[in-house]
Amino acid sequence: MQQKFDPITLEILWRRLISIVDEADASVARTAFSSLLRDAHDYTCMFTDSRGNELVQGTFCTPGQAGAMALGVKKIIRAFPYEEYKPGDVVIVNDPWLLAGHLNDVCVMSPIFYKDRIVAFTACVFHHSDIGGRVASDNREVHEEGLFIPPLKLYTAGVPNEALMNMIRWNVRTPEEVIGDIRSQVASNHVCAQKVVEMLSDEGLDTLDDLAAEIIDRTETSMRRAISKIPDGRYPYKGVIEGAGLRDDITIALTVDVKGSDIHVDFDGTSPQVKWGVNVVYNFTYAYVFMAVKSAFDPDIPINEGAIRPVKMTAPEGSVVNCTFPAAVAARMQVGHFMTEMVFRALAPAVPDRIIAGSGGTPAQTNILYGQRHDGKPWFTMIIRGGGMGAGNSMDGHHCAIFPANGANTPVEILESDTPLIVEERALLPDSGGVGRKRGGLGRKMVIRVPNDELAPPVPVTIAVQAGRFRYPPEGLFGGGNGAAARFLKNHAPADPSGLTFADPGDRVAFYSAGGGGYGDPFERDPEEVLEDVKNGYVTRDKAREDYGVVILPDTLAVDEAATAACRGKK
Amino acid sequence: MKDRAFRLGCDIGGTFTDFVLVNDETGTFSIYKCLTTPADPSDAVETGIRGLAEQTPGFLPDVAEIIHGTTLVINAIIERKGARTGLITTKGFKDVLELGREIRYDAYDIFAEYPKPLVPRSLRFEVTERIASDGRVLQPLDADEVKQVVDELLKAGVDSVAISLINSYENPEHEERVKAMVTDLAPELSVSASYEVLPQIREYERTCTTATNAYVKPITVKYLEKLYSRLQSIGFDGKLFIMLSSGSITTVATACEFPVRIIESGPTAAVIASQHYGRMFSIKDIFCFDMGGTTAKSCLIQKGEAGLVSTFEVGRVQRFKKGSGLPIQVPVVDLMEIGAGGGSIARISKMGLLQVGPESAGADPGPVAYDLGGEDPTVTDADLILGYLDPDYFLGGTMPLNLEKARTAIEVKIAKPLDTTVTEAAHGIHDLINETMAAAAKTHIAEKGGNPSSITVAAFGGAGPVHAYGLARKIGAPRLMVPPLAGVGSALGFFTAPIAFDLVRSHRESLDDADFGQIEKLFSELEREASAILEQSGQTDGIAFARSIEMRFVGQGAETNLPIANKDFSEWKKHEIRQLFDETYQRLYGRTYPDTRVEFITFRLRAGLPERPFRIPRLSATAGTLEDCIKGQRDAYSLVQRKYIPFTVVDRLKLFSGARIDGPAIIEEKESTIVVGEDAKASVDDFGFVWITFDKSVGT
Repeated sequence: MQQKFDPITLEILWRRLISIVDEADASVARTAFSSLLRDAHDYTCMFTDSRGNELVQGTFCTPGQAGAMALGVKKIIRAFPYEEYKPGDVVIVNDPWLLAGHLNDVCVMSPIFYKDRIVAFTACVFHHSDIGGRVASDNREVHEEGLFIPPLKLYTAGVPNEALMNMIRWNVRTPEEVIGDIRSQVASNHVCAQKVVEMLSDEGLDTLDDLAAEIIDRTETSMRRAISKIPDGRYPYKGVIEGAGLRDDITIALTVDVKGSDIHVDFDGTSPQVKWGVNVVYNFTYAYVFMAVKSAFDPDIPINEGAIRPVKMTAPEGSVVNCTFPAAVAARMQVGHFMTEMVFRALAPAVPDRIIAGSGGTPAQTNILYGQRHDGKPWFTMIIRGGGMGAGNSMDGHHCAIFPANGANTPVEILESDTPLIVEERALLPDSGGVGRKRGGLGRKMVIRVPNDELAPPVPVTIAVQAGRFRYPPEGLFGGGNGAAARFLKNHAPADPSGLTFADPGDRVAFYSAGGGGYGDPFERDPEEVLEDVKNGYVTRDKAREDYGVVILPDTLAVDEAATAACRGKK
Repeated sequence: MKDRAFRLGCDIGGTFTDFVLVNDETGTFSIYKCLTTPADPSDAVETGIRGLAEQTPGFLPDVAEIIHGTTLVINAIIERKGARTGLITTKGFKDVLELGREIRYDAYDIFAEYPKPLVPRSLRFEVTERIASDGRVLQPLDADEVKQVVDELLKAGVDSVAISLINSYENPEHEERVKAMVTDLAPELSVSASYEVLPQIREYERTCTTATNAYVKPITVKYLEKLYSRLQSIGFDGKLFIMLSSGSITTVATACEFPVRIIESGPTAAVIASQHYGRMFSIKDIFCFDMGGTTAKSCLIQKGEAGLVSTFEVGRVQRFKKGSGLPIQVPVVDLMEIGAGGGSIARISKMGLLQVGPESAGADPGPVAYDLGGEDPTVTDADLILGYLDPDYFLGGTMPLNLEKARTAIEVKIAKPLDTTVTEAAHGIHDLINETMAAAAKTHIAEKGGNPSSITVAAFGGAGPVHAYGLARKIGAPRLMVPPLAGVGSALGFFTAPIAFDLVRSHRESLDDADFGQIEKLFSELEREASAILEQSGQTDGIAFARSIEMRFVGQGAETNLPIANKDFSEWKKHEIRQLFDETYQRLYGRTYPDTRVEFITFRLRAGLPERPFRIPRLSATAGTLEDCIKGQRDAYSLVQRKYIPFTVVDRLKLFSGARIDGPAIIEEKESTIVVGEDAKASVDDFGFVWITFDKSVGT
């Protein structure tokens, strides 16, 4: 019989579950090697009930990984006969179709045993900056993109699989880092398992399943209540994502169907999968569709299996948003991250207050950089850059965030101590935020120089760009203007962001991320807000007059009320 | 100085300013409490001293030292009332302060707000210069530009300047020169340089900490100077010390130089008091639990020592959401603060569950029972309904509580929606806030390797002694201690805090390549620097140093701290250091990897003067009888039987050494109330501490 929990006990136990996964999450920052994990936090921890239903995920998660894990971990568990799992087993896998859509996202999963029975599975996905292969978004097949690991036992009953470790070691460029980070994954699951067992013993429970059922049901109810507030209807949208370099644009056609407390997103009419690395697997597309629904309607409740139940998604097999093996997928965020914005666009007429305009951090702007130090020692790093967030009905866009994904920048001082590169500038870009009654957040630029002094590297630095918004900037909403487009420059001239770029000693590369779209008519923006923007240098005085119709006196930095009225009246 | 009898502790809190005056010769102390005066906090200090003088006439000239804790700095940051502050930084990096780390602290909240930088963009200036990550000068400092920038800062009307240049933690040469030029060209400006405030890698965290220091420096200087001269004007000529967030105390001069280090000055005192009690009674693990109106702060003290951490956040936009505040990296006592206090609001969540906190009704409008217009039921309202608080003896009867209003609020807002009784709802609120605190406490205790079943809970604060019994039951702590004057008792911590200062320096070098002679040089420099700071206190004898190093596997992102013996570093063997690292790492993370190389990152030094003696006075020997102490009986809710049962009500002030009280009992004093369930027993020791132990034979 299912054990019942009164509302008060339930809340208490639920909180404890969350603090367990957060503790596992925190251990990663202390044990991980690559700056992408320890500084940029590109990883997600979670655990499930005994059947693989997601029960909790880390508070600091990456929505793409988190959403994909909710669907994928269940399947990975089934890769092995359930009754053959033993305490101390550790499974490793990076099959993009099972999980988060590219080889770099490596999942490490373990059963948690209590009183000789499986009570839960703990899993974490880390984004490994290096997984071997050719690091670029213009590969044609997944085979070029690195090492493909099907579900395999990394440990069997506590005994490490040295052959597999060795296999991984020889297929990546930076084995110490990759192996170190896999160890950090094992440690993180270890922390989680230990705490789950401790909790069961403290609370006198033999299983998590009854508790899970209750939590999942309550979450589903809450999510359904939120969805039922959206007016029923079919909301279509067709968006275009730029093809990198000379490649064709990609069309995303979707219909959001809201009926009662169910939401169904269908991608009929979307472009077929392409011969370069931006194809998205079902899980990852789903993750960012879910992100849209969740963030717009019920951002507060913790996520688990129950939150995803009311959100259904269908997409034609072989389309760019539901690609089939062996499509190239390394840069899948270049398409996948757009799903959130596209769903927002579709729903904009129905719920204009709940959504935001296009964001410059869609897709996340990532760079992989590697080469040798002056003494021939290899180095390898990956950085993520945000862009300006889109504005909403009541809020300016935040400057520089990675949205809808999440993560942090790598401090300049860390980047410079991990590599021979010199960062010359990292700054906000004035006038890059889309104009509007609410202004889009600003984009930012980052300028990197390869040293040409005694520390000059003996070979060129290899740079891969996985980004977007170079041709189609983030769009505004309801009369708001577009954000400024992204740019990629080498020695002050536009360079090709679609393949690999090589930089010699003395070369400079500059990455400009896009600004966010504005919301509403800029001529309705409060002149005082425009003035603040000018004082802060977010908007120049000329643009204040041109785009916002606000005239600001150069000497006193005050609004010229009469001139402003005249200027705004002319429109 | 030795002949002076008195020391005075003074803690300025958000609502009240607490005073404790101790006579070290006789061991007696007296207390005073008055309202804080936000416009000029020194007003309340003078009021308090005059109030104390009524009990102890003419004591002020006999005061050897005043130890002071204040929330002035943290309030200035939260309320954005600091100085107009400018920033000088490396060309290309004026937006470091605004970009932060770019992470969205709440992944699913698209409308999350972020803290605004303390220095607006228009006041951030760049100069041409560049240091590389290995300390080489890539681009010399442009002195003419510095001059122009100083001109512009003056034109912009700033009062304070932060200097933070890229990679200055590795080579501070340019920062030193900029600082010298600013001081020279504009001596009226207050200056904070990052190499002095926080010489540590990661430009955002270092710049933010330095800018915060600059932001609060002028008001701190002004306030402390004013306070000192005011004290002198009324006859004080002893020394004035300030409580640091790290739990030690320092001179006014150092507090003025590094005000960012006194942010948690107030809450730390209870921890320091607990540390002292831990040593006084030789208790291995004490869990210090300080619950006020808005938050509960707690800290595990092991073998008389509270842990220190090197980073925390201030001014969170969403008060209890990690990542929504400004990061500050200075040593601070490892306090855990959660949104659980007497004023925490109870409500029904979207999922139909009871929730308590973190929002608080504060002091205004306060709980419903205060009858000051509050409409949301709070923890205090529940405590009142459960019979733990006496409506006619709250704050000694100075503030009558409205039981009926509290009952109605809980009925309408909690009991009806949950389809339960008022009693059950009130119990739910009391129990849930205890559970919230217990869950946080368990995590905190576990993280530090403690075991709840062998700790003693020490209760402080107005609500602490009310909830400590329920909390102790939940975490399975066998014993509970309520020190004398628990309501203001945290101020006692001021008398035991050592004069000490912590310094840190980052320098990345692999263990294999490290020159231990150079490291010894670095430590000696830190020792000289720290000694100079301590000597300002007037004491030069007996300075003790404690060294620690932070190491990691080459390429790892975070460090493992290793305390090391205080001997000449060049006497260490490399394999000894390696072994120390491996042992520690294994203990923390399960396994270590001896074949992977390790490196040094940070070197830490704590310099301290010896502990100061402080004796708690004994209760007078006149033995009484328990009957004299009993005020009566009232019904209160039993957490064991889940119903109202009669509790004996005891007056704490009348208690004598050796008194024993069996639960169920309620022990009342003016500032707080101690709850003792029927499964527990209380006893009073020679010093007036109430000790509560659980009697396992009664229920669970």
